[in-house]
Amino acid sequence: MNDFANWTLAFRFLLRRNWVRMLVWALVLAGLIAIVIVSQRQTFPTQASREAYAAIANTPAVAALTGLPYAAGTLGGILNIKIWMTDALALAFAVIFLVTRNGRAEEEQGRTELLRAGALGRHAYTLASWLLTAAFTVVVGLATAGAAIAEKLPASGAIVMGASFTGVGLAFLGIAALAGELSQTSRGANGIAVVVLAVAYLLRAGGDLAATNDVPSGLSWASPLGWGQAMRSFGSNNWWPFLLLVGSGVFLCGIALRLQATRDLGAGILPDRPGPRTASALTQTPAGLTLRLQRWSIVGWAIGVAIGGLFFGTVATAMTKLLSGNKTAVAAILGQQKNVVSGLLGYFTMADALLIAAFALGSVATIRSEEADGSVELQWTSAISRLRWAASRIVVPGVASLAMLALSGWAEGASYGAAIHDPTQAGRYAALALAYWPTILLIIGLVVILDGWLPRASLTISWIVYGVLVFVSMFGELLKLPTRVTNVTPFTAIERLSTGHFTALPLIIITVLAIILGAVGLFRLRSRDLVVG
Amino acid sequence: MSETLAIEVRGLTKSFGSAHALNGLDLSVATGTVAGFLGPNGSGKSTTIRILLGLLKADGGTAALLGGDPWRDAVELHRRLAYVPGDVTLWPNLTGGQAIDILSKLHGRVDRKRIDEYLQRFDLDPSKKARSYSKGNRQKVALVAALASQAELLIFDEPTSGLDPLMEGVFTQCVLEARGAGQSVLLSSHIFAEVEKLCDTVTIIRQGRTVEAGVLSELRHLQRATITVSLDGSPTALSKLAGVHDLTADGSRVTFSVDDSAMSEVLTELASLGPSALVSEPPSLEELFLRHYSATSDAAVDA
Repeated sequence: MNDFANWTLAFRFLLRRNWVRMLVWALVLAGLIAIVIVSQRQTFPTQASREAYAAIANTPAVAALTGLPYAAGTLGGILNIKIWMTDALALAFAVIFLVTRNGRAEEEQGRTELLRAGALGRHAYTLASWLLTAAFTVVVGLATAGAAIAEKLPASGAIVMGASFTGVGLAFLGIAALAGELSQTSRGANGIAVVVLAVAYLLRAGGDLAATNDVPSGLSWASPLGWGQAMRSFGSNNWWPFLLLVGSGVFLCGIALRLQATRDLGAGILPDRPGPRTASALTQTPAGLTLRLQRWSIVGWAIGVAIGGLFFGTVATAMTKLLSGNKTAVAAILGQQKNVVSGLLGYFTMADALLIAAFALGSVATIRSEEADGSVELQWTSAISRLRWAASRIVVPGVASLAMLALSGWAEGASYGAAIHDPTQAGRYAALALAYWPTILLIIGLVVILDGWLPRASLTISWIVYGVLVFVSMFGELLKLPTRVTNVTPFTAIERLSTGHFTALPLIIITVLAIILGAVGLFRLRSRDLVVG
Repeated sequence: MSETLAIEVRGLTKSFGSAHALNGLDLSVATGTVAGFLGPNGSGKSTTIRILLGLLKADGGTAALLGGDPWRDAVELHRRLAYVPGDVTLWPNLTGGQAIDILSKLHGRVDRKRIDEYLQRFDLDPSKKARSYSKGNRQKVALVAALASQAELLIFDEPTSGLDPLMEGVFTQCVLEARGAGQSVLLSSHIFAEVEKLCDTVTIIRQGRTVEAGVLSELRHLQRATITVSLDGSPTALSKLAGVHDLTADGSRVTFSVDDSAMSEVLTELASLGPSALVSEPPSLEELFLRHYSATSDAAVDA
């Protein structure tokens, strides 16, 4: 077993490098469970209220977004509906990022070379990183189960729920490990694994939408997320899909290890092809360069938000069909058909806008990352002012996010419009989505001002702010945040135009704020020293 | 500002928090000459260069570049200069050829003919992605872009630290050609042979201060030559002369160093001792350099 020599040393080293971020992830994921239990106990205080909820819970929206509500008459079942999918997705993301960070990214930066030149077996570092990530998924499983037990939910269901998280985490550990072997770059590895996660989500959404009673269609069996759902925590508490999840993780890691044994250090299984010997006229301009550097990212995000829009439109359509049927009881409880569906569509529009904001943040972040890694040195010593350079890094996410908003809104409206035979919906929702453009500009402005004044901390702070905004925007109602909070955060302050009236004031305030932040940041960028690292 | 100086720096100071990077640094580069810029790691070479490039703002002192202010006139000045950092960071997803075109365009224009010429001389494959380049190949990308630009002033920060000896030779040739074409060059380097071969003047700095500056031949003049000689007589008298240092005798063979100022006195004394097989070596830049590098040998110089 020379290939794994000294892996325990590597394990301790990796633990030291990663324990803070793993601890934060575990606390957030377990904390969410506890918070949601408390808030749902207040919402549904009596068994009668839970049973009333169960009668109407099985809507296409719930099925498509979070899974089938198989036990909505119990607090555990409600917990599953409200937060299982969020926690499972978040854990999958955490695992993907951890595996890439400690695998392909290290190799890309040449650190693996240094380590492997020491008395470390060929696969020791890889094995240690996977084992550490596996241990992390187990800790998350225990913490989430513990949180549920502490909040007095049945232990049997809580343990199955924790195991389902661990299982999903392990399956995506395998997927991320394989992606890290295929791609030569950390961006590529993360990209492949996240696409697999998105496909897994859509497959099980299809399975849950096409369910007979509370049994999903076969589609769900093609998705690791579907396997996790099939464990039915707080319902029938199945253990056997857990074997499927663990087995697939081990199997994929095994394949990844075999691939690693056949390739050179630093190489990927997917080949790195030679590129053009000269740059096109467009690439030679500053904004054209930004576009060229980010083109696949932009294309990927555009496809992603378009699919998101189509998916959300489909969910709304299914809701329409449900409400237009004979189920007057359902309609009576859910309120008027039109309001429910357009409220849902408004919520989806905001969700797509949040995704596009993540794209914009990641894109404008190059304003900082290029300075940190030193590649601005050659650009700032060229005949281009820092302002023009920064403008070229800002204009691309600015314009691209506008186009993406229109595209996602159009896709949402088109799929909904096709169902209700109203072709004007596509244009209507495209226009409605644009109301979030000032908010996205505000996020860009935030990155710019932080880059000017607090360059080293700017990206960390920006992503934390973004995370808080997502949390407040998506879960503000679920967690019963006071309206004086939700009224002033930049996503929730925008009237859901699908239901509300158009009010220009928030848009104007946010636009002005965005311009001020950007201008103050650029002013500082022009007059401060270069900050590398 | 003097037209004959491409770079003129007087009393430059710069601090990062409580750390003083520059404490009154002086540096001049005459137009059309190659100036060597030497100093130990952390002595402030890169900080000086970054101030000259308008990347950092000086705290005090004056700096003039091509007659302009490096901070205020950054963009106009950058049109007239080209820079090669010691550690070149490129866009990993673009090829070397694309990076060269982009850098050239940012400076003004893309001179395809010159770029192709330098690509060939530096034996660089422009179709490879930058992420697959070694350190030396990334440096070649910046070198090709800088040399092809025909800028008035070339600033190199340890430009050959990743190049093999063959490519170092190509670089030396390119710099000599640049000087021949009237370009001015500031060359920060740790490679003595390179500096000796290329530089008209040398500035040596330590701890953010200039400790030695001038024309290379004159600097040597200030220093000691090493003399090795076989003597019939006893070297005792020699060792008593002022200006003779580090005398060692191995049988009749004697080695010592002598201050240039004491040379005629020493040679008179030497002649009376029956010298044969006399070898006199001029001080190498390396000696000069190392003497300034370590604090202990500083004391020896002063003594």
